[in-house]
Amino acid sequence: MKQFQYIRPASQAAVLDAIAKSGSKIIAGGTNLVDLMKKGVMSPDKLVDINSLPLNTINTSPKGLHIGALVLNSVLSENSLVLDKHPLLSMALKAGASPQLRNMATVGGNMMQRTRCAYFYDTTMPCNKRTPGTGCGAMGGYNRMHAIFGSSPQCIAVHPSDMCVALAALGATVTIAGKKGERHIPFTEFHRLPGEHPEMDNHLATGEMILGVDIPDNNFAKNSYYLKVRDRQSYAFALVSVAAALDLRGGVIKEARLAMGGVAHKPWRLFDAEKFLAGKAPTEENFNKAAQLAMQSAKAYEYNAFKLKLAPATIAEALKHAGGLA
Amino acid sequence: MSDKKPIIPPNGEGISNGTRRDFIKQTTVLTAVAMAPGTVVKAASDHIDEQIAAVFEKMPLKMEVNGKLQNLSVEPRSTLLDILREQLDLTGTKKGCDHGQCGACTVHVDGHRVNSCLTLGVMVNGKKITTIEGLAKGDELHPMQEAFLKHDGFQCGYCTPGQIMSAVACIREGHANSEGEIREYMSGNICRCGAYPNIVNAIQEVKAGGQTV
Amino acid sequence: MNKPIPTSADGMSRVDGRAKVTGAAKYSAEYNQPNMAYAVLVGSTITKGTVATIDTKAASAAPGVLAVLTYLNSPKVPGHIPTKAQKPSSKSGPLKVFYDNKILYNGHPIAMVVADTFERAQYGASLVKATYNKEAHDTQPPKNITQGVGAWGGKDFTKGTVDAWKTAPIKLEQEYTHPSDVHNPMELHAIIARWDTPDKLTVWDKTQGTQATRDDIAKAFKLKKEDVQVNSQFVGGAFGSALQVWPHEVAAILGAQVVKRPVKLVLSRPDMFTSVGYRPYTWQKIGIGATTDGKLVGITHEAVGQTSSFEDFAEGPINTSKGLYASPNITTRYKLLSLDVNTPTWMRGPGEATGAFALESAMDELSYALKMDPIDLRMKNYAKTDPDNGKEYSSKFLDEAYAMGAAQIGWENRQAQPRAASQNGWLVGYGMAGGMFGAYRDVAVIKAMMKADGTLTIQSAVSDIGPGTGTAMVLIAANKMGIDAGKIKFEMGDSSLPDAPMQGGSATVSAVGSAVHDACTVLKEKFQQLMGNGGTDKPDYVKILKDNNLPSLEVLTKSAPGPDNQKYSMQSWSVHFVKVLVHPATGVVKIDKVACVADCGKIISPKTARSQVVGGAIGGIGMALMEEGIIDHRYGRYVNNNFADYHVPVNADIPQIDAMFVNKPDPYINPIGAKGMAEIALIGMAPAVANAVYNATGKRVRDLPITPDKLI
Repeated sequence: MKQFQYIRPASQAAVLDAIAKSGSKIIAGGTNLVDLMKKGVMSPDKLVDINSLPLNTINTSPKGLHIGALVLNSVLSENSLVLDKHPLLSMALKAGASPQLRNMATVGGNMMQRTRCAYFYDTTMPCNKRTPGTGCGAMGGYNRMHAIFGSSPQCIAVHPSDMCVALAALGATVTIAGKKGERHIPFTEFHRLPGEHPEMDNHLATGEMILGVDIPDNNFAKNSYYLKVRDRQSYAFALVSVAAALDLRGGVIKEARLAMGGVAHKPWRLFDAEKFLAGKAPTEENFNKAAQLAMQSAKAYEYNAFKLKLAPATIAEALKHAGGLA
Repeated sequence: MSDKKPIIPPNGEGISNGTRRDFIKQTTVLTAVAMAPGTVVKAASDHIDEQIAAVFEKMPLKMEVNGKLQNLSVEPRSTLLDILREQLDLTGTKKGCDHGQCGACTVHVDGHRVNSCLTLGVMVNGKKITTIEGLAKGDELHPMQEAFLKHDGFQCGYCTPGQIMSAVACIREGHANSEGEIREYMSGNICRCGAYPNIVNAIQEVKAGGQTV
Repeated sequence: MNKPIPTSADGMSRVDGRAKVTGAAKYSAEYNQPNMAYAVLVGSTITKGTVATIDTKAASAAPGVLAVLTYLNSPKVPGHIPTKAQKPSSKSGPLKVFYDNKILYNGHPIAMVVADTFERAQYGASLVKATYNKEAHDTQPPKNITQGVGAWGGKDFTKGTVDAWKTAPIKLEQEYTHPSDVHNPMELHAIIARWDTPDKLTVWDKTQGTQATRDDIAKAFKLKKEDVQVNSQFVGGAFGSALQVWPHEVAAILGAQVVKRPVKLVLSRPDMFTSVGYRPYTWQKIGIGATTDGKLVGITHEAVGQTSSFEDFAEGPINTSKGLYASPNITTRYKLLSLDVNTPTWMRGPGEATGAFALESAMDELSYALKMDPIDLRMKNYAKTDPDNGKEYSSKFLDEAYAMGAAQIGWENRQAQPRAASQNGWLVGYGMAGGMFGAYRDVAVIKAMMKADGTLTIQSAVSDIGPGTGTAMVLIAANKMGIDAGKIKFEMGDSSLPDAPMQGGSATVSAVGSAVHDACTVLKEKFQQLMGNGGTDKPDYVKILKDNNLPSLEVLTKSAPGPDNQKYSMQSWSVHFVKVLVHPATGVVKIDKVACVADCGKIISPKTARSQVVGGAIGGIGMALMEEGIIDHRYGRYVNNNFADYHVPVNADIPQIDAMFVNKPDPYINPIGAKGMAEIALIGMAPAVANAVYNATGKRVRDLPITPDKLI
């Protein structure tokens, strides 16, 4: 690992000053950043430790539930407000990483996680995300874990987070601070698709930082489910994961939320399937139809064609659990 | 797959060529030194700069390890794992992957289990660290250590310190209420010898025994 | 059949357990030396060709860097590490590190950076830049694998008529592939090398044989054996990966020579895929035929195993087909396929585990074709003498093992029709498979010394990679001497101690345990002689020493196999039963229940023996469901060389595992009646899982591992 300067500012203003330069990176839990620095994939000149900032609260607000950027994944997964209002988020968090990593990883850091694509991680391989212009190693390579939605010829990597899939489904908002003040963007618009610029994972600009997320109140708590399919029962990234949430009233789906992990460069909301389910009965047949609708724009590569079958199967299965049919 | 020739791109985000001068330029604390650039350049070519730079590249680290205060000077890039093993000779904490993928390096920081391989030493300044060496009270083993012995919760023993630190935390966190829960909450610790059922048995016994862990 | 199932708490706890649970147990990288330097290897980024230029300037100038070794400046190793290949080969042999500019595989060490701290060595290594003259490489087994495979892999074998299975009324022929699996013990391979004088060397090294390593290093560096000291007190798993001296060990020794300081080299996890061996990719084809009532007519087992371009590594995938069933006609063919990869090596249940996957899957397929219970089919073809050579078995109770396992798993609940049972929305399947592995005994020497305080010290150079060798030895000695195990100390892991074979091939207890038995027998007799009148059965050792004014009494005893070891066919046997749950929509497989039975003679140490069987089953679950080293053949480079992407089982994958023993002593193999257990604990587990998955789903997966994508 390259040497770097380490500072731990005491105020948000000082952090914003420190991250104004592109060579600076924020560190919170460090579970992904230190990993990438050891691999030489990221080599910042300066680490700005934000752990002195008061961003580790979880509280109800007029906007719903506010979660600070420094809240640990483990703490969040067990928080009584989360368990009560948004059990889907807790399930997703518990499906991710390991207890030790969740004790280190923060909400903001989880959002900033970079892809697990092997070509991104190996600095001797081509990767447009790591080194723009070198090509995509996964395209035409070993792409079993890769995207089936929203990829570009430049990048077919997927975002590895579970938490973000749940937050996308729950319609959270992200609060971002920069020198010009705060801004709020929908969670689904925080991460981006690779397009021509796969080196950019999200819409956080240089010099900006995440302050937290807000989840609006909803009626999904009783009928939500996070299903993660992976190569082993725990401590593995998703082949495909699905966050399913239903607002069930009087035997009818008033509103449905569906998001997938392991299939795209960002948490992938299934808007068409959601729309289809609204007003329908929670039946296996409807769930299967929704799952098929969700797959309309899917495209597979040499080693991930199985996801074209696994994804709809997982969507339907997650919906069955959410709807009380499984 | 095609027989396309591999492309070997230049390395990722500009790993610098690593001369002293680069570092000194970036390092604000060295402003005073930088005021005399001629001296620095001369020092760099003579390798004397290394000794100067080594001092400036290090940061103080105060932490309590197993009840003992440690006053250290470390590079910011040094992980807690390497500091424990290489500087403090506390080799009970193991390196199995160095990337948070196996759990062999699990220690407690302020009572919580973490992967010490992904923890920068400078980030635990002021904190209390407990490693496997700090678990027993003198000759009296911790109940979890006793249970691992009794239920043979290991073979080669290499993942064992991490397993035990994790197991203690598993009970403290309240995640040892069923066999299934223990398995899930112990899945961050890989055991290649395959002692998992024995580990689960050991944790269940300690949990059932109700001792303070 | 109603023996109680052993629990994890039964039996004596490990003699080295306290050291392991307190962190006091020290592994090779943990003997920090004064003034020690750290080495990090730099691997090639191409697969085949030569180094054109190598720029070490930046690395050499980096802070703390003491030396950068490459083929251009490294001292040459005067000798060479002897090949472990099973036959003299025309190939160049084990990799000579920093010898020339040739690149033989991706990750071939091209440089080593030695610095005053680990961090600085690692950073220095990132600064070494090479350019290459690339040549076309081949790391991918061809589709038509038998074409163009010419290398030696052992002689073709025929008993009876060649390919007689084709004449059978019920027959099938199928291909099976096993990917390259990587040992990945939790402890990274590590060495600390210290030159005590210019021709005297001490190493702390991860090895399964302190003396084999000593001998090989002495040969390579042209040193006297007695001037090479190898220490390996604790070994954090190996499973075969530490059965030979690898290039990184030589590199560290060279590094210590250059910087004139002790050098520590710890492989990274990615290095573990290319710097040490692995279980090779193996293609197999089984032709098997039977009469309509299930009597085997013939088995033909062909296998092609991957090896490197520079070394032939051969193992025994076809052995199981030669010996597991009483088929009148058996044909085997085994060839090697040379690729531009690093050399494979033995991995737990080497060859046989790979072979059992093919044979025992095929037997299962045959059972369905015959509409016959898989156990009935196996009993119908039960071998009472060794089908390979006609010899009598020294002992075989596999039939009892079948019955014990079937009872424990609840075999009666198995549906004969696939995809016929479900439970809470999951498909339920039962499967079983057997395994065998040769039971060996090698020569070993033991020094046993009774001291005036009544404590007994036993010494052997043997390593313990985890099975609990010390515990078993102490129990043998305690039993023979009639003293408390707490009074016995077993010293090991040191090449200067009495001769012991490598810990491999499941033969440690048989060899070293017999030597402990023999040494204690002789020692006890000495005491009895001192007593006169033939002594008593329970000598008071302390009193006898005191009466004879002796500070201690010791013996050095050599113990060797006898004519019986040639006369009989000696095998260890196992059977694994598995109940799986498979999710019909997502293809997720959960192991629900496992029952393993080992027929490996007398059980010496019940606690550690049980753990070894449990561990072997878990290794087999990994092989069955998730393990696969994946190379991007365009680059010849691994794309999953870490613990996040190369999956091994985690706790959540594993249920309670019932491990049982027939526990009947083998009368001929050795004086203690114990046969090997390590390999058979794993052999047969993967096909048992595959067979259970078929029973659950009706899908036959012949290409391991059985990941969810293969079941949807």
